[in-house]
Amino acid sequence: MKRFIIISLLWAVSLPLLACAWPATHNYYLFSPCANDEFNERMNKLTSDNWQAYIGSTAEYYYFDADEVIAAARKKNDALMVSYVEQLQRYLACADEKRNERWEYPTKAQLAKRTQTLKSVRAYAQGKLRTRLRSQHALLYMRCNMMLGLHQKNVDFYQQTASKFIESVYRDMMENIYAGALLKTGRSIEAADIFARQGDWQSLMTQFYKRRSYDAIRQEYLRDPDSAVLPFLLKDFVNNAQEAVDGDDVMPGKLFVRNIQQKEAMQMCQLATQVVQQRKSQHLAMWQSAKAWLQFLFGKRQQAARDILEAVGMSGTERMQDNVRVLMLYITAAESPASQRLDDFLATELAWLDTKVGTDDRFYRNALDRLVHQVLAQKYERQPLRAVSILRAADSQYYDTYVDTMQVGRLQQYIDYLSAPATTALDGYLKPRQKADMQALNDLVGTKYMRLCQWQQAQQWLAKVPLTYYNNKGYAVYAANRRYTIEPWVTRQWLKEGMEYSDRKWQLKSNPKLVFAAEMQKMEGELSILSGQARQQRCYDLAVRYAQASFTGDCWFLMRDGKSWGDSVRVNEVCLADKALALLATASLSADAALKERALFAMSYGGLYQQKWYNERWDAKTYDAFREPNPASRNYKAFAALADFERTTSKTVSLYVSRCDEYRQFLKHYHHF
Amino acid sequence: MYYWRTDLRLDSLERRFLSQYHISKVYCRYFDVVMTDDGPMPNATITFTDTLPAGVEMVPTVYITEDCMHQRHDSLAAQLVRRILQMNETNDIRSVRELQIDCDYTARSRQRYYDFLKEVKSQLATLHPSCAPSVTSVLRPSAPFTLSTTIRLHQLSMTPPPVDYGVLMVYNTGDPRRFTERNPVLDMRDVAPYLRYLADYSLPMGAAYPVFLWQRTIAGVSVEHPVSADEILRVKQTLEQRRPELSRLILTYHLDKENILRYQPDTYEAIYHH
Repeated sequence: MKRFIIISLLWAVSLPLLACAWPATHNYYLFSPCANDEFNERMNKLTSDNWQAYIGSTAEYYYFDADEVIAAARKKNDALMVSYVEQLQRYLACADEKRNERWEYPTKAQLAKRTQTLKSVRAYAQGKLRTRLRSQHALLYMRCNMMLGLHQKNVDFYQQTASKFIESVYRDMMENIYAGALLKTGRSIEAADIFARQGDWQSLMTQFYKRRSYDAIRQEYLRDPDSAVLPFLLKDFVNNAQEAVDGDDVMPGKLFVRNIQQKEAMQMCQLATQVVQQRKSQHLAMWQSAKAWLQFLFGKRQQAARDILEAVGMSGTERMQDNVRVLMLYITAAESPASQRLDDFLATELAWLDTKVGTDDRFYRNALDRLVHQVLAQKYERQPLRAVSILRAADSQYYDTYVDTMQVGRLQQYIDYLSAPATTALDGYLKPRQKADMQALNDLVGTKYMRLCQWQQAQQWLAKVPLTYYNNKGYAVYAANRRYTIEPWVTRQWLKEGMEYSDRKWQLKSNPKLVFAAEMQKMEGELSILSGQARQQRCYDLAVRYAQASFTGDCWFLMRDGKSWGDSVRVNEVCLADKALALLATASLSADAALKERALFAMSYGGLYQQKWYNERWDAKTYDAFREPNPASRNYKAFAALADFERTTSKTVSLYVSRCDEYRQFLKHYHHF
Repeated sequence: MYYWRTDLRLDSLERRFLSQYHISKVYCRYFDVVMTDDGPMPNATITFTDTLPAGVEMVPTVYITEDCMHQRHDSLAAQLVRRILQMNETNDIRSVRELQIDCDYTARSRQRYYDFLKEVKSQLATLHPSCAPSVTSVLRPSAPFTLSTTIRLHQLSMTPPPVDYGVLMVYNTGDPRRFTERNPVLDMRDVAPYLRYLADYSLPMGAAYPVFLWQRTIAGVSVEHPVSADEILRVKQTLEQRRPELSRLILTYHLDKENILRYQPDTYEAIYHH
């Protein structure tokens, strides 16, 4: 199964790329003046860490278990903790009960009991506000108030008491409940400030769901130029605008949306200009970079390049300054022609971005991904060596496909590049990040020569690859169990059930590609000295090998790493099926009726054609598919030649022909019969 | 009028609206029933922070997702009726005498849905003071309990469901994916193919018209689908020409301050005009 999955995944990734160079948009958001540090996740992590430390657990993933904590507290003779967790359990039971109300809707009595429990826990917690666990008990007290709908009490309590407690995860959670209580009691501005400061994106979006527009942002700025909500609202607005632009080619109808967004986006640019001029905000870098990015998105790229340069050095948080740098990198790379100056700039800025990519914050990794795939890949399209090394340095998912489809000469240049010393700053950045797998590269160069039927060169490269390399390939099961000498039009080499999905490690006896290349070189070399019947037989034998090695053959692994029903001849690859057909045409001229019949039969084999002898049609009346003969197709003509031969020859039709279901179906349609 | 929020809480404008247009019934979504690994389960249950104005009848309404009807669930009807009654009891909602079920049933699920409706009807019929003392205060045992269901346009071509009456849902008529061609909320061109079924559909019917604005996010971008007053009235007039009975029960979807302010009073007068 593992092997099957590997092969399937390989194709899932690479197939779309064959039709189009860069189909995925990689449209990660690049405007990010505040980190995506979600409040809930942060709190869960901190509380979980606290409990884990208390009970002394070393588990990799720890989940709070009240009974476990109580047991640990008893061991420590920590009576206060025991009673706290017991009461916490009662509160959590009420919360769970409310959350899990399913078919059994609570009765009045149950609701009354729940209220009574919450009041009792609340009273208990209130009585412990002077203990060493005062923060925990205060949080419990506020939680009970929240569930009881006593929001004003929570407002008062936090302001008068809890806000004076020492800084801790419990106080943060209390402040969050306090913000919710402020919202419930009509003090939404103060609530939003707290949610924003805490990074509680979910609560903010709930609160501002219907107020995420230029007008709303402008009003918020006018109310307070440094409102804590503004980075979140601006981030949401700009990224929303980005979606409108990025998705233009993907979603039908996006043009309609974009026009609305463009007008609003330009209003936002004007507002940003005013903000920067007024200098009332501490976060001018954020406004200026928002303006630059919106300009860029909506096609005013030169203006964007000037705007983002102006943002450098403007006031703002460290994150905002970093965001300016990311945007400057992206916009400059997109707007500058390929040059030494750009290469030097990239070398410096990519090295800086790398220092950020390793952090938990996905923003920087996503920014690199977008830069590489939306800008640099196109920028260096005409410099394949540069393009491939950038993809490799960025761990791009397209690296494998890129090297797989590039010209063999270029790949050899890339291998030479890997061992040469760096001569430019950009090379100095790229080279240490190439992580070259020489076995894979040698195999790939050899395979590329195989795809071009240049057997001698292929052998030179394939000879460098050890057998272990092939034993570890996903296709080893096929290489070990299939032979390229078997005629695919007579026998298909299906593997025994379960064999493809077993975890068995296959030990190949020889390098399958090397053996094939050597044999092909020998057989083709001898072709020129053969004549007559021997030459025709050799053509037939070579055709069998070409057909097997083609992507529809059973030995497809000789030319590629994976196989799919939707495959085709790729770039920089000879059509092996056409080679087989040409050889079969020579064999079919044989005076030997048996060889002629075999060659004609082989030429009618569907696996050698993209276009079958029929077109598949749909009958709307019978709700069934049917075959409509296509006499213009090469496959039809091949079948017709076979049928004509069988009709006119004195020889009895061979069983492998008469039993062929495809041939029988053809005969039903063939007008001569 | 439908009430489709998760918290029953009316502001002064909404209360004034109910009174101004003499709305006597509010079809209030109590909860949804969705398919889970554990079978059909209630979801998004309403909270009763407020009560309806005096004189306005509450009609508990439950939306059931179609996949719940892909197979038979023996106790579903009983569970659903019991839960609604308990919600009424717990929240002191009195004088309830009707229940509406909303389900986008298809040819695949139709028979199971109809069987389910029969069971609901039968559950409602068995309610008796002696066996259900807790519900006597919220029901009028002497009056028969009414069961209604929503009817979508495509369902008009099927045999009518076994209920007392249906409410023709005259909204969400188009294909949401083709939103650039037609308004997916309401477009006369999407209603037209179903007009031929109207006159002969053998179930008493009312009609529900959209007054909401569908705001959705497509690839991260907010897209709005407002319906013009002219379109609503054009469709209403056409439907009532084919089936005059539809003017006897007119609903709108749904009660909300923003929806009230979306249209001129004249429009609401025209929609509710018998």
